[in-house]
Amino acid sequence: MTAKLQQREMELYRPNTAIDLLQIPGLGRLLRWSWGRLVLQIPLFIAAVFLIIDGLTGPQVAPRNLATVAPWVHYRGLVVIALLLVGNLFCMGCPFHIPRTLAKRLSLRGRRFPKILRNKWIAIGSLFLLFFLYESLNLWASPSLTAWVIVAYFVASFAMEAVFTESAFCKYVCPLGTFNFVYSTASPTQIATKRADVCANCQGKECINGSWASQPIIRTDEIPITNETGDIETQARQVDNGPLGVLGCGTQLFAPQIKSNLDCVFCLDCVRACPHENIGLMVRTPGRELMQVDAWPKKWDISFLVIILAFMGVVNAFGMVPPVYELQNALMRNFNLTEMLTLLLIFLVGGILLPISLTLAVACLTQALTQTVKKYPLRHTVAAFAPSFVPIGFGIWFAHYGFHFLIAPLSIIPVIQEFVGQTAEWARFSVSADSGLIGLIQVVVLVGGFLWSMLIAQRTALRLYRRRGVQGLLPWALLLFLLMLTALNIFSLPMEMRGSVLLS
Amino acid sequence: MQFIWIMSFMSILTAVVITGCREQVKTAEDAQINIDLTVEPAELAVGNATLSVVLTDTEGNPIEDATIEVRGNMTHAGMAPVLASATDGEAGLYQIPFEWTMSGDWLVDVTVTLVDGEVVQERFEYTIATSTELYEGDVNDVTPESESNE
Repeated sequence: MTAKLQQREMELYRPNTAIDLLQIPGLGRLLRWSWGRLVLQIPLFIAAVFLIIDGLTGPQVAPRNLATVAPWVHYRGLVVIALLLVGNLFCMGCPFHIPRTLAKRLSLRGRRFPKILRNKWIAIGSLFLLFFLYESLNLWASPSLTAWVIVAYFVASFAMEAVFTESAFCKYVCPLGTFNFVYSTASPTQIATKRADVCANCQGKECINGSWASQPIIRTDEIPITNETGDIETQARQVDNGPLGVLGCGTQLFAPQIKSNLDCVFCLDCVRACPHENIGLMVRTPGRELMQVDAWPKKWDISFLVIILAFMGVVNAFGMVPPVYELQNALMRNFNLTEMLTLLLIFLVGGILLPISLTLAVACLTQALTQTVKKYPLRHTVAAFAPSFVPIGFGIWFAHYGFHFLIAPLSIIPVIQEFVGQTAEWARFSVSADSGLIGLIQVVVLVGGFLWSMLIAQRTALRLYRRRGVQGLLPWALLLFLLMLTALNIFSLPMEMRGSVLLS
Repeated sequence: MQFIWIMSFMSILTAVVITGCREQVKTAEDAQINIDLTVEPAELAVGNATLSVVLTDTEGNPIEDATIEVRGNMTHAGMAPVLASATDGEAGLYQIPFEWTMSGDWLVDVTVTLVDGEVVQERFEYTIATSTELYEGDVNDVTPESESNE
């Protein structure tokens, strides 16, 4: 191998993995197929249309309507399980991509998303808005409102794709996708290249540029191949691009440099576009990137997204236990606030102000204890420890969404039966998992998430501060412990499925 | 791919037709009957309860031999409903064993099938407290400390 080639290879990222899920017979062929993604999207698109129909015309009782049962119970429950066991499968089959694809076909899009907005601040805002509207408008109890949210999603994704390039809706706005991006960083799969030297010699970079062209274009790439004796040979490989080609990565990720699942929608367009079949869906150690230096950019928006999402998990669960009503009543009595304002106040303080202020305080304390004020900027300190909030945040959301899912996992069946006009077998399908088992699962995922977070924080502290690692770890460990303790306390309270009727 | 799109369109069309043919039930007002529902114990808390449904016509005469089906739904999606029924109503009074399985907002749908086959439905809303919300101190203390949250 030439020195130049070795140098190029070192510049590219290649994970240390051997298992490519796309090599599984049948599955790999389906997913690599040009229409493979559409095969996943169409059932979900049809389901979304059914949800809208039932939400707007069906019974306005949440447990009996597809519009409320499917997204608020089954989607959320299945999405956290899929993220834990496989990866970002929902974004892979996202039905909201279909109108976006239509917008692309209509060639309406053109300009890039404004540079000042190319970050995660809007995504943090949209997540906050979704969680706040969910509680304040009782979306969980309103099929029609939920149906309108789905309609709004289709309209927004179409409009943004029509105006902007680079899948701006997915990357910068979509709250569901943002949630999936964050927690897919703990998943056991990742898009990655197989051989870095192939990428280094690829001329077209189709993984990001796409293999589509209005006119047929033929070129020849000289690709180094390892022969049977272990020597490197250069082979000329013809690449045909043209009208039958596919688009490159929608979110502008360059496959050889992907170190993280952040922003990856698992669309596999890069796999289909690569003329050298050099990209795979690789199995990796779960959460591998969380312990990897420089896997994430050191940016405030990404760090706070992860930390805020973990705190929002606590606030969201707090919205369903009795003390929230006492707090709301107290705020309403003492400050003469409306119910909506008290809820906004609780969400703003618990979901935004508290995580930001606590994070900054802890980062400053860490710098003081380790005497690294001059060595590391505050932004770097926060960014270094931000990945440790992924497992604990995931544990909190898993405990919450898992509860709703396990309390009536088969309830979707009688709802579908009613939707298609059959007699619903409620008694048969209203089985619930044992409450003791649900509680045990909640404790396991919370404590497990905390321990995983502690492991990441410990490694980060030792890497950054070496002999002062313990001092560096202590403030973050305390914050993570408090977060876990608060979540445990909330989940130990009886969850109440109610709106605002009790508020006086 | 055209086949997939055609199948998708057909599925959606079928769903629209099916939902358009849903059975419509009458309200008590439309059917000109009265459906009254009372709950025992009056302190609405998680646990067993008895629902008493009184059926009368507009002149106050009791309606007997109807079939009563009660369905308790929580307002949150994904909660298993509580189902119960009764058929023998003496002097228009139908007593139905029931269970509030969780604290929170409940919608209780009472569906009455009259002797002539007419189906009438009425909805009642309740808020159920946890047992500890109603009792102060020892939860085994049977003396209620607060009034019903209804």
